[in-house]
Amino acid sequence: MLFFSFFKTLIDHEVTVELKNDIQIRGTLKSVDQYLNIKLDDIQVVEEIKYPHLSSVKNVFIRGSVVRYVHLPAAAVDVPLLEDATRREAAQQAGKGK
Amino acid sequence: MENGTNTQGEGKDPSGFLSDIIGNPVTVKLNSGVVYKGELQSVDGYMNIALEKTEEYVNGVKRRTYGDAFVRGNNVMYISADS
Amino acid sequence: MAGGEEGPAGGSVSEPLDLVRLLLDEVVFVKLRGDRELKGRLHAYDSHMNLVLGDVVETIYTVDEDDDDEEIRTTTKKSEMLFVRGDSVVLVSPQNSS
Repeated sequence: MLFFSFFKTLIDHEVTVELKNDIQIRGTLKSVDQYLNIKLDDIQVVEEIKYPHLSSVKNVFIRGSVVRYVHLPAAAVDVPLLEDATRREAAQQAGKGK
Repeated sequence: MENGTNTQGEGKDPSGFLSDIIGNPVTVKLNSGVVYKGELQSVDGYMNIALEKTEEYVNGVKRRTYGDAFVRGNNVMYISADS
Repeated sequence: MAGGEEGPAGGSVSEPLDLVRLLLDEVVFVKLRGDRELKGRLHAYDSHMNLVLGDVVETIYTVDEDDDDEEIRTTTKKSEMLFVRGDSVVLVSPQNSS
């Protein structure tokens, strides 16, 4: 739930999603779910010349499993808060993998 | 776990083998073919692995060393006790 | 599953994820699928090995096949704040150790 909650705090911010097939899509984060599926509005494909087939698309729903990275606006991330939330999640999860 | 001895016992389950070799030198082979040799710190049910004093081998050639290393379980092909 | 190892009490490593917990807010080295490596400060992780890293340098190794020569080319990219999906992660280690 940590990253689901984290991504919800980034809604309406501009992010760049890098897919496992190397395509990068920049857009406004509009929604996210527990699988980290992502909806982006007002999208733009980075290196459009290389990937012209998305040039007329305005918004996308990206399946979480095809995501490699999401580049985030650093100013929108509260690092101490995120690290505290990570410690809480780790304490909660401890021992579950055994 | 009735088996208190440290023989890498027959008739035990695989996770029993893993808990027996904690602290020992091991070889971990990944699906990619990369091999790690180090001291086994811990393993969990996903086969996530923590190694100490680890050497990384790619195509049999030593590439890197790590003081500590966490290896994500899904990449693991096998864990073998060296001794 | 009966946990065989007990591990001394306290901040020691009794399960693999404890090693990652100790790396929070430290600079880490991450090896990914697809011949990629990252160096950056670990701000968040969960049990899937989803990560958030700050001040990241990504190194990508590609094989350049000019004529018959196979040359390994390295590309580096920077990102100030990066979410990494856990399923691409192979290895996480403290950066000072290599």
